[in-house]
Amino acid sequence: MNEFIEQKVQLQWHEPKANYDVVIVGGGGHGLATAYFLATRHGITNVAVLERKYIGGGNSGRNTTVIRANYGIPEAVRFYQRSVELYQTLEAETERWIMHKQKGLLWLAHNEAGIRAERARAEVNTAFGAKTEYVGPKEIQEIAPQIDMMGGGVWPVLGGSYHPEGATARHDRVNWALAEGAMRRGVHIHQRTTVIGLRKEGDRVVGVMTDKGPIGAGVVLSAVGGHVTNLANMAGVRLPIRTHPLQAFVTNHYARQFDPIVASMGLLFYASQTARGEMLIGAEIDRQPSYSYRSGHHFLQSCAFRAMTLLPFLRNLRILRQWTGVCDMSPDYSPIMGQTGVDGFYITTGWGTWGFKAIPAGGEQMAQLIATGETPALIAPFGLDRFARDRTLADRGSAGTH
Amino acid sequence: MTENSLPKLIVDNHPIPFIPGESALIAMLRADCHPTGGGCLCLAGDCPHCLATVDGVSYVRTCQTSARPGMVVQRHHADGAYPPLPLDDRPAPAVAATNLFCDVVIIGMGESGQTAAAQAVAMGQEVITLDAGAGQEVIGIYPGALVVARTDAGMLHVHARQEIVVATGAAEIPPVAPGNHLPGIVTGRAAAQLVAAGIELGRVVAVGTPVNGIDAELVTGEIVAFEGAAKVEAVVVRQADGGERRMVCDTVAVNLGLTPRDGLVRMTNGTPERAIMRVVGDAASEAAIPPCPLAGIVCHCSGVTVNDLDFIWQRGFHEMELVKRATLAGTGSCQGSACLPHLRAFLADRGGELQPPFTARPVTRQLTIGEVSAGAHHHATPRTALDAEHRKLGARMERVGGWWRPWNYGNVLEEYWAVRAGVSIGDVSTLGKMQISGPDALELLERLYPTQVATIKPGRTRYVLLLDERGYVMDDGLICKESVTRYTLTFTSGGATFAELWVRDWAESWGLDVRILNQTLSLGAINVTGPLAAELLARAGLTNPPPYMGQMEAIVAGVPCRVYRLSFTGELSYELHHDSIHSPMLWNVLLALGADMGIKPHGIEALLKLRLEKGHILVGQDSDFDSTPRRLQHEWAVKLDKPNFVGRQALLRTNKIPLDKQLVGLEMDGPAPIEGAVIWHNDVYAGYVTSSSLAPALGKVVMLGWLRLFDGVLPEVVTIDGRAARRAATPFYDVNASRARAKVTPTAQPVDLSTFPFAEQAAESNSHALFQQMTMQRIVALPAALDAVTWPEENITLRIAPDELLTTAEVDAAAIADPHAIVVTDTGFSGLWRKSDSVLPILAQHCEWELPRQRPAFAQGMIAGLPVKLWLAEEEILVLVPTPLAAELEERLF
Repeated sequence: MNEFIEQKVQLQWHEPKANYDVVIVGGGGHGLATAYFLATRHGITNVAVLERKYIGGGNSGRNTTVIRANYGIPEAVRFYQRSVELYQTLEAETERWIMHKQKGLLWLAHNEAGIRAERARAEVNTAFGAKTEYVGPKEIQEIAPQIDMMGGGVWPVLGGSYHPEGATARHDRVNWALAEGAMRRGVHIHQRTTVIGLRKEGDRVVGVMTDKGPIGAGVVLSAVGGHVTNLANMAGVRLPIRTHPLQAFVTNHYARQFDPIVASMGLLFYASQTARGEMLIGAEIDRQPSYSYRSGHHFLQSCAFRAMTLLPFLRNLRILRQWTGVCDMSPDYSPIMGQTGVDGFYITTGWGTWGFKAIPAGGEQMAQLIATGETPALIAPFGLDRFARDRTLADRGSAGTH
Repeated sequence: MTENSLPKLIVDNHPIPFIPGESALIAMLRADCHPTGGGCLCLAGDCPHCLATVDGVSYVRTCQTSARPGMVVQRHHADGAYPPLPLDDRPAPAVAATNLFCDVVIIGMGESGQTAAAQAVAMGQEVITLDAGAGQEVIGIYPGALVVARTDAGMLHVHARQEIVVATGAAEIPPVAPGNHLPGIVTGRAAAQLVAAGIELGRVVAVGTPVNGIDAELVTGEIVAFEGAAKVEAVVVRQADGGERRMVCDTVAVNLGLTPRDGLVRMTNGTPERAIMRVVGDAASEAAIPPCPLAGIVCHCSGVTVNDLDFIWQRGFHEMELVKRATLAGTGSCQGSACLPHLRAFLADRGGELQPPFTARPVTRQLTIGEVSAGAHHHATPRTALDAEHRKLGARMERVGGWWRPWNYGNVLEEYWAVRAGVSIGDVSTLGKMQISGPDALELLERLYPTQVATIKPGRTRYVLLLDERGYVMDDGLICKESVTRYTLTFTSGGATFAELWVRDWAESWGLDVRILNQTLSLGAINVTGPLAAELLARAGLTNPPPYMGQMEAIVAGVPCRVYRLSFTGELSYELHHDSIHSPMLWNVLLALGADMGIKPHGIEALLKLRLEKGHILVGQDSDFDSTPRRLQHEWAVKLDKPNFVGRQALLRTNKIPLDKQLVGLEMDGPAPIEGAVIWHNDVYAGYVTSSSLAPALGKVVMLGWLRLFDGVLPEVVTIDGRAARRAATPFYDVNASRARAKVTPTAQPVDLSTFPFAEQAAESNSHALFQQMTMQRIVALPAALDAVTWPEENITLRIAPDELLTTAEVDAAAIADPHAIVVTDTGFSGLWRKSDSVLPILAQHCEWELPRQRPAFAQGMIAGLPVKLWLAEEEILVLVPTPLAAELEERLF
């Protein structure tokens, strides 16, 4: 018996109905969270979540589970800080163990430009409610004594920013806690149900066509990851999204001795230790766009090498598994949330490499939008129309490694 | 041999003898020591029951590890506690990687693998075999038909041209029943191996089928339970008639059928590698689905029992993936190879549907992070030809814009004042530099740039912005016009690599007739700046320097240069572009000639202050992803009345949208805020500072920053760091450009350089190394024109692209049938001649592509993570690399 076997979640499955008030396409974290907040905050329960495979089977179950708000622009800092705070109470609210753990996140700089960026990050974070401070080599060594401050003689650590509220949670458990919370209140979740078309009446989206038949909907929300451009296209909405693979790997299980989340802006990797004692290591997205979930050797070889340069103790750890997810990248490295210009069709996408950390806030805000028809102030800057309005959210803070 | 004479390994501090050649596990079992305390052993690398920490590496399968004298084995804690993180950081030798190329790679050398190998050899194919039994453990099959294997001696990267044969055989299905965690349970094959090794098994019960060569009591039926306290003492089996039979024993040998070892196959499903894969022998067999397990541990790695599966099933987790994730069954060290058949059987029983196995992913055999890193390199940071000079002068080197550059030489203010009050030199070799030639050269530039290129006069230069399609500023630089068909472009150091892709991509998309030559890595550039700059250059022989924004060819200090007059620092400035082989000499002569003027080199830190005072933006630091010329207050650099250029459509649209923010100048008293400081206006966020410095010449703080408009107006006074800051016009310094644009007539006389002791210095500074800068001719011309030339065979001529070549031959430009050809002397490559037999083995470790076999031959590609060109002559090989990366390649290869 291991302590990590899910103990409390009770999933309930139903036959699909012909119509729902809200149909959410995509049973990942954002779709499930929106359903959860519709049910818990707005009493809207005549809701279906449609999932092509199984819940949390896309990027919501493939990410590296980092929660943080140390972004580079005010709009993003505010939004992700909301998410950081919702995560802190999600366990108590759902009464489910999502293995949330505040670890502190250290972003390391190896040159003057890096130091400048981390100082700037601390500045804008502090101004907008996220706790981030600039730290020097001595403090870094105290937070993470395992770091080779000489960077293997190649990438010495000169400074960094420390984000004490940086945390992790078990991705699957977040998905299940939200799914169960929605289901308990009457939301239907249909797995192995693929949306193959959108039903329209005039200019309005009024439902979806699935491989199991049509489903009518008052409102359709696309919470799709990966093939989102295809789904939006069915509604006649063109998205400025390119989808890129993102890879990661874990080692075997070791005693929990590595506390923080460490990321290097020069070496482009990040590492943390999971509750099960695996060292979890990831890097930046693959450069070429693709929907491929295939793992690459070059990624594993290079990422392992870079991580070992800064964390030499990794050398003798044995690798367990590598895997791949896909990231929907927007041109400004910020998500796209809100109305689409097509009646009855909402969207939450562009979750790049920062989707997991945004799940509660994204769900909360999208639910509020659907329930009230009004775009909440917190996500108003993230609308799709920002590209046409020349109000993009250029965020160097998100264009980092995770 | 007596026990005492046998070599020993150390298990949990106890010496244990072993017979040379046997595995650590066999030795341990002979000493009655079970590595993990129990569980059905397979002795074939499939189960997790022989994992131990071996010589500091945890999770090593001792059944696959040959015992070595002095090998230190620590058993993993039987209570399931994880081994500690190995926190010592003693340096270890790097693991080697070897690249091998073959027609057919055969994975697994059992019977079917041997057959496949023999067939392939008979057909004349080059075959490489990888056998786990021989210590070659394949970890994965990757794109490019790359098969990666771990060995004790290093990593093998095997590249298969034609076929991948998977002959990995099948694993034995382990038993699931209460008590299956006890020691004393083995698979049938394992039992046979143990007996062959002379290990006493005591009374053996064989379940299922007899075990070859073992005197065992045979029983058939379903295992109900294993019984015993510390080890197995009996097995209970339900027989065909329904009756249970309890058999007392010391060892149970179980034969429950086979499941194919098809992880490598499943990993490639739907990929091109699957199309060239042949699966043979037991690996190709159907997976046997055992009876649904009733009780006991299903997944030993994660400690998951049948009860746990039942619990989670009742909780609504029915998909294979959800059950896996909710219980963690199949996510441990053996990655499901032991539990997958039972999981499938369980789910088929409960759900009435046989679900496919979960996704197979690398790594199928485990290896350390150190091992998998073999052959990896860091991203290389190039060095200019003046790198050694900077170090000699005590510079602190920094990675800036993708290059190693001097941050300062110890005293920023001295460097600053040398520029403002005397003369200084700076290394700007890192600037992007590109030649464009051709009938459509003007057309290309008109379409690429928002300026009216046609109005640039020959011999003149112009500052330009480079926009993307959305009208955002990507880069800035200069257009230098030689003639209507010939231009030199410059880009920022950080933007140069992308700029080449950008220019080539558009030229090709538009089908324009141009030649493009990127000289960024070939040319050195030194900025001579300060009020005395012209005097210094006159001493170096340039008595008639070009006017502001002019350019000319000239010999400076004996070095052929293209001289550009411009100003980034706000002082009189000349950039000297030259073949980088001459950089050290030019640098040292200028320093020597300027000694009595108080000349000092300046680093990036001083340069950043100087340009900020002058109000020059730094693309990438002051600009952002959404910086339109209007937001940057650079609309003067954009001619929207031109018919078309990249970004024009976007600008026409976005210019109609009310302006939201602009990059502005700011000044204040007191200490300089940090770059990134937030700007407030009446307690409302108003933007942030992008550049900030105390301006030594002005005695106040000057800044650039993004400032929001409030009701369409930029605030005049804002708050930064709790202090008032005022919006100010830029430039802050040299407001009327009287310094930067000063008309100068130098009075100094050229110095006789033959009396200068610089040659020695130059030679010394170039002395790094095996690689020597080569002087070659570089030609860009129409492919047909290059085809038509016969290059002398005694020279080396490398066709590095259809429209580009490098040659050691003298080139008569007139002999090339392309009037727009670009023909330059190029010292941008450094070369090293080596005997083939000495260099080929080194290349095999660092080159992931196959070298040509014929001689002579030319090849190019990434080697050791760097762009390398090879000339393979009969006996010798010339290794060529861009000079800025030569030191790095030398370190990586030799």
